[in-house]
Amino acid sequence: MPELTFDRVCKSFGDALVIDEFSATITDGEFLVLLGPSGCGKSTLLRLIAGLSPITSGELRFDGELVNGWEPRRSGVAFVFQTYALYPHMTVRANIAFPLVMDAFKTWYHLPIVNSIARRRLMKSPAIAARTQAIARQLELDALLDRRPASLSGGQRQRVALARALIRNPSLYLLDEPLSNLDAKLRTQMRSEIAALHHKVGKTFIYVTHDQVEAMTMATRIIILDKGIVQQVGTPEAIYGTPANTFVARFVGSPPMNLVPVMREAGRLAVADAVSWRHDGDVPDAEHLLLGIRPEKVVFGPEGAGPIAAQVAIIERLGAETVVGCRLARPGREAEPRLLEHDLVFARIPGNLPLRIDEPCSLDYRSTDVVWFDGASGVRITTAATVST
Amino acid sequence: MVMGVLRYILIITLVVMAGFPVYWMATTALSTNAELFSTGQVRWPQLQNLPALIGELSKIPIGRWLFNSGVIAAGTTIVSLVLGSLMGYALSRFRFRGRGIAGFLLFMTQVLPEALIVVPLYAMFITMGLLNNLGGLVLANAGFSLPVSAFILKSAMDAIPYEIEESAAIDNCPRFGILTMIVLPLIMPSVAAAGVISFFAGWNEFLFATTFLLDRSLWPTSVGLASFIGQYETPLSTVMGAALIFSIPAIAFFLLVQRKIVAGLTAGAVKG
Repeated sequence: MPELTFDRVCKSFGDALVIDEFSATITDGEFLVLLGPSGCGKSTLLRLIAGLSPITSGELRFDGELVNGWEPRRSGVAFVFQTYALYPHMTVRANIAFPLVMDAFKTWYHLPIVNSIARRRLMKSPAIAARTQAIARQLELDALLDRRPASLSGGQRQRVALARALIRNPSLYLLDEPLSNLDAKLRTQMRSEIAALHHKVGKTFIYVTHDQVEAMTMATRIIILDKGIVQQVGTPEAIYGTPANTFVARFVGSPPMNLVPVMREAGRLAVADAVSWRHDGDVPDAEHLLLGIRPEKVVFGPEGAGPIAAQVAIIERLGAETVVGCRLARPGREAEPRLLEHDLVFARIPGNLPLRIDEPCSLDYRSTDVVWFDGASGVRITTAATVST
Repeated sequence: MVMGVLRYILIITLVVMAGFPVYWMATTALSTNAELFSTGQVRWPQLQNLPALIGELSKIPIGRWLFNSGVIAAGTTIVSLVLGSLMGYALSRFRFRGRGIAGFLLFMTQVLPEALIVVPLYAMFITMGLLNNLGGLVLANAGFSLPVSAFILKSAMDAIPYEIEESAAIDNCPRFGILTMIVLPLIMPSVAAAGVISFFAGWNEFLFATTFLLDRSLWPTSVGLASFIGQYETPLSTVMGAALIFSIPAIAFFLLVQRKIVAGLTAGAVKG
C-alpha cells in the first residue's frame, strides 16, 4: 500500500467541526503517530481512514484512488480498538480466525444456523487453521487458543486484538490508543512489542495516542493535532527539538518545554519584576516574546554560579535524575506564595542532588538551545541562530 | 443462623403458595364428581381414579388441541423473535426520522386491550381469508408479543459496545452477519426472555382463538377446556386432568430456557 493522501479532509458532527482541512501524505511502511489531547479529533481521523465514519468534505485517497464513502470491509485495513473489541462469546482461536472466515464466507452462509455450521467448517479448513496457529505462535497465544476473552488478562487481550489485525496481512494497520487500558509496566512492554511488530511486518502503521512517550518512542513521524487542526508534522526529533508553536512545546516532553515570558532591556533579557540577565545570542524582534528551553538544557547551579537568580520550589526525585522546579527571583526577595507550575522553570539534572525547598540557586543556558515563540500568536520565531526544520 | 432459618421458612412458604394450585389441580383431577360436589372432599390425589381419568381424557381430542396450542405458541415465538430482533436492532443502531415515535408506538400497542381490537381484526381476517386458520392466530398473537420482544431485545442491544460491531465490520462481516453472528449470541439471555414471553402469550391464547377459530379441530387446548363448561354440568376432574397435561409442555419449555433467563435478568450488572 498504498500511499495515503488526505486532501483538505474535514469532519463535522452537525455544527461541531472536529477536523478542519486536514492534509497529509502517509507513505508506505511508515509508523505515523497521531498525537494530541483528548477530543482533538485524532480518533475521528482514524475512523475516517477505516471508513467507519463518513468524510464531510475533502478527499481521502489510497494510492490515488478516491476512497470516500467506502465500506469498512472494502478498504481492507486492520483496526485495533482501545477496548480491543474482542468477540466475548468466541474463543481466542475464533476471534483470531474471524477475519479469514469472513473473507471465505459466501452470501448465503450468513443465514442463521447455516452461519454457525459454515463458520465451524471454515475454522477447521487447513489454510485458516494453520494461519491462525502461526499468528498465535508469533504472539505467544498458542496456549490460550481455546479460552474466552473474559478469562484473559489485559495484555493477553491486547495481543489477541493484534493477532486478529495481523492475520489478514493487511497493508495498513490502524491502532486507536491500544495501550491506554494497560498498567504502566505492561504498557512499556507492549510498546516495544508493537514497535518490533512494525519492524517485522514492514507495513504502514497509523497509531493514535495522547501519550507523548508512546509517540516519541515508536513513531517514524508524528502529526500533532489540537482542536481538529494540525499543529505540526515531523519526526520525533524535530517535534521535540523545534516545536512549531507553544502548544507543541508544552504538549511534548515531560516536564514540558519551559516557556518564559521575557522582555528585552538594553541587550539583556528580563522577566517582569523579577530578574534580568545577559543573553548572548540573537533575540527576535517581537513585542511579546517567549523564551523556550527544554528542562535538560537548563544548567542548574548553586547560587551565583549562573546569571539567572532563582529559588528551588519543587523537587521531584526520579532515581536516575532529579527534576527541579525553580522560581525566578531576586536574591533576598520574599518567597512567592503561589505554586503554579507554569510560573516555574524546570531543570532536569542527572543523579540525586541534596537540595531543599526555598534554597537559592542559579540557572544558565546556551543561547543555541533556545527556541523563541511569539507570545501573542504562540508561533515559533526563526532567528539567524535557530536552525529551522 | 436465625436469619437462615427465617429465609428457609419464607422460601418454603413461597414454594407452597406457588405449588398448591398445581397440587390442587392434580387432586381435583383424580377425584370423582361425587367427591368434588360433596362436603367431604379429599385433600390428596386418589390414584385409584387414574384409569377413569385416562378413560375420560381419551374421549376428547386433547392431543390435537395440544398440537394446535404448540403451533400457535411456536409460531408466535418465531415470528416475534425474528421480527423483534430486526426491529430491536434497527431501533438500537440506526438513526432515522420517526425513531422516537416508533419506540413510543411499541408501547401504545400494549395499552390497547385485546378485546378492543377483536372486532376490527375479525373484519380484517375475513377479507384476508385468515379466519379459521392457525396462521392468522399466530399473526394476531405475534402482533401483541412482537413489541414486547422488540423492546427487550433493543434494550439488550443498547448495552453492546459499538466497537464490537465496528470491529466485525472491518473484519469483512456484513450488517446481517453482525446481527446474527455477533449481536444475537451476545444477548442470548434476553432472546430467551423474549422467547418465553412470546411462547406463553401464544400457549395461553384464548380470546382470539375462541373468536377466530370456528372449526373444533383447530381449537387450541385453552378453548377446548373452556368448551367443557356446560349450562348444566362441568366435568371438573376431566377439565383439571386436561389442564395438568396442558401445563406440562409449558413447564418443560420454561425449564429448558430458565437458566438463560436468570442470566438475562442479571446481565449488565457486572462488566464482562
